[in-house]
Amino acid sequence: MSNFQNGMAPLRAMEDDSDVEEEALVADYKEQVQYEDLDDEPAVLSMAQQTDDIQSRLAQAAQPLDFSAPLEIKFSSYDQYCSLFHFILNSEGPVDLEPPSYYWAWDVIDEFIYQFNSFSSYRSRLARQGSEEKSQEIQMLRENPNTWGCYSVLNVLYSLIQRSQIQEQLAAMKRNEDPMAAAGDYGSKNLYRMLGYFSIIGLLRVHCLLGDFSLALKTLDAIELNKKAMFARVMAAHFTTYYYVGFSYMMMRRYGDAIRMFSHILVYVSRTKNFQKSAQYDSITKKNEQMYALIAICVAFHPTRLDDTIHTALREKYGDQLLKLQKGGPDSLPIFEELFRTACPKFISPVPPNFDDPESNVDPIEHHLSIFMDEVKTNMFSPTVKSYLRLYTTMDLKKLAGFLDVESEELRSWLLVNKQRTKQLRWNDQTLLEGELVNVSDLDYAMSGDLIHISEAKVGRKLVDWYLRNLSRTYA
Amino acid sequence: MSGEDPQERPQEIRNIINGLERYNPEAASVLEAYVSQQCEEKFCDCNANRALLKLYQLNPDRLKDEVVSNILVKAMTQFPSPQFDLALHLLPPSLSSPTPNSTSELPEAVAHLRTLNTQLEGAQYARFWATLESDDLYADLVADIAGFEDVIRVRIAQLISQSYREVNVGVLENWLGLDDEEEVKKFVTETCGWKVADGLVHIPKNAENEAKKTEIREDVNIDMFSRIIKRSWEEAA
Repeated sequence: MSNFQNGMAPLRAMEDDSDVEEEALVADYKEQVQYEDLDDEPAVLSMAQQTDDIQSRLAQAAQPLDFSAPLEIKFSSYDQYCSLFHFILNSEGPVDLEPPSYYWAWDVIDEFIYQFNSFSSYRSRLARQGSEEKSQEIQMLRENPNTWGCYSVLNVLYSLIQRSQIQEQLAAMKRNEDPMAAAGDYGSKNLYRMLGYFSIIGLLRVHCLLGDFSLALKTLDAIELNKKAMFARVMAAHFTTYYYVGFSYMMMRRYGDAIRMFSHILVYVSRTKNFQKSAQYDSITKKNEQMYALIAICVAFHPTRLDDTIHTALREKYGDQLLKLQKGGPDSLPIFEELFRTACPKFISPVPPNFDDPESNVDPIEHHLSIFMDEVKTNMFSPTVKSYLRLYTTMDLKKLAGFLDVESEELRSWLLVNKQRTKQLRWNDQTLLEGELVNVSDLDYAMSGDLIHISEAKVGRKLVDWYLRNLSRTYA
Repeated sequence: MSGEDPQERPQEIRNIINGLERYNPEAASVLEAYVSQQCEEKFCDCNANRALLKLYQLNPDRLKDEVVSNILVKAMTQFPSPQFDLALHLLPPSLSSPTPNSTSELPEAVAHLRTLNTQLEGAQYARFWATLESDDLYADLVADIAGFEDVIRVRIAQLISQSYREVNVGVLENWLGLDDEEEVKKFVTETCGWKVADGLVHIPKNAENEAKKTEIREDVNIDMFSRIIKRSWEEAA
């Protein structure tokens, strides 16, 4: 694919590759959606063969719990999950069950984590408000600190992963070997394999909710994010994965990688939305909006050319905000905060709050936001500096400080910060956490004393893309 | 990311952080000893230290104030990098914004360290040294970390060399937190190998401080058109 001469090659090459991948994915998805309609019948048959009781428990586990369900229901739901997972994990040998449907395993893990998440958020909100009316509920929560405990949730996910030997299976697939050879007694069964697989994505999510972004990315070491991914058929899983991976990248200041993740999945969604089943599509609309907000934040940190579809949609949804973000300065801070709040995961604290001292409980979202804003503030003058430097080839620092109406020493800091942030770790086909340090800006400068020497990378005409687009149009 | 996976990491620590042992509260004492080792031996393993912070996150009763602040100082020495922030994210939310009834000194310590870190991340080096001098509390916070000031000074010099060809000695004096021009001359010639002449420090050319002109050009090759060609071939057939 396109090669450029100053070390820009990896980015373009990857974008083009992902284009190929996307097309393959879209084709793949179309096939599967058609295939799936044929698939419904045998699933119903095999369901009838099973005993009703366990089947209804399996089905129950995948059912969404009403958000406003009373605390008792949330407690009993937890007990039901515990007993179901206990049955699956600790029976003598693997249990002989087929998952009720292709989506079941994802739905169960998704719902399990969703309930854990909303329970933890609810508990800490009660503790912060410390209201008298809810004293009964608070008492109940005090007495059961381990219900929906973080350790038990992690335990379930890790156990499912280990039992199914899914990591070993994925490693075998990576080496182009038969995964079944590494699957063992449990992992060769659909039920375990799928639960194990989605537990990996579940872990990604839980680590991210707890603010452990690097561990979140590390969790996906075994999974290759491409068309061969096992979850590609389960749209919600696909979508969730990219959201959390992208978010974790953003929190690790790898904005280029974050944009790549968000763009990839958003393009995919826009291409497949016509043959999505409507219910599945509705559930991802909100996350869709959130990812556009996150792209806006990332682009402000790391200006880059976006995919046309994404660019247009971003302007439509967040046009005004994006302009302010890109302008930088103190005016941009409230916009960063607003977008972060609407688009971040619902962070939780893993331990029960202190009910005796409502004021000591800080909302985890505020905690993570304030840390994120430190970096935003550090960078907020970079757009200003860049917009001026673009106009000159050499510039005296004191003169520029005069234009900007700041002290020379302040401007020196801005220049150093902007220059230091142009180096970013970028993914290079290895695991998600790895990458190479690359220069991501087309503007470069160096100082001799107070004289700033500026050079801007000239972008030659890019014709290949133009030709390809127009040629493919003639075929259409 | 710098300070992420150092070569000094012993096998025992590797086993803990790469397996389920990282969730065992008993592993905390091993990781704590490892933090002390990093403080004494002047290396940094932020990845392992985050495993310890995670254990504290899940078992708050085990949290040791001085270990947390040492981990933060260690992460700070890696500037500019997300290491300090990644460590902060794992702390209990109540530590990041001191609450009225708090009896612990840790929230105050964290707030102080955040100030220092913000100055380093924001390349306000002169301000950093002034802040460090301004209160004995800062000196206490970094006391356990062997050679803290030297590590920061060398790191600053390295960052300057990536942006500057020549720096005024006076400016450098403030940035490096040194007392007079003689000390600056000694530091830059002995530690960095730079030259000083006429009140200017000359830094040798390197890949970053040149700001060379580049042109981004497109290299066209047949592979780029392979899909289109393949398609036209197939449709013709």
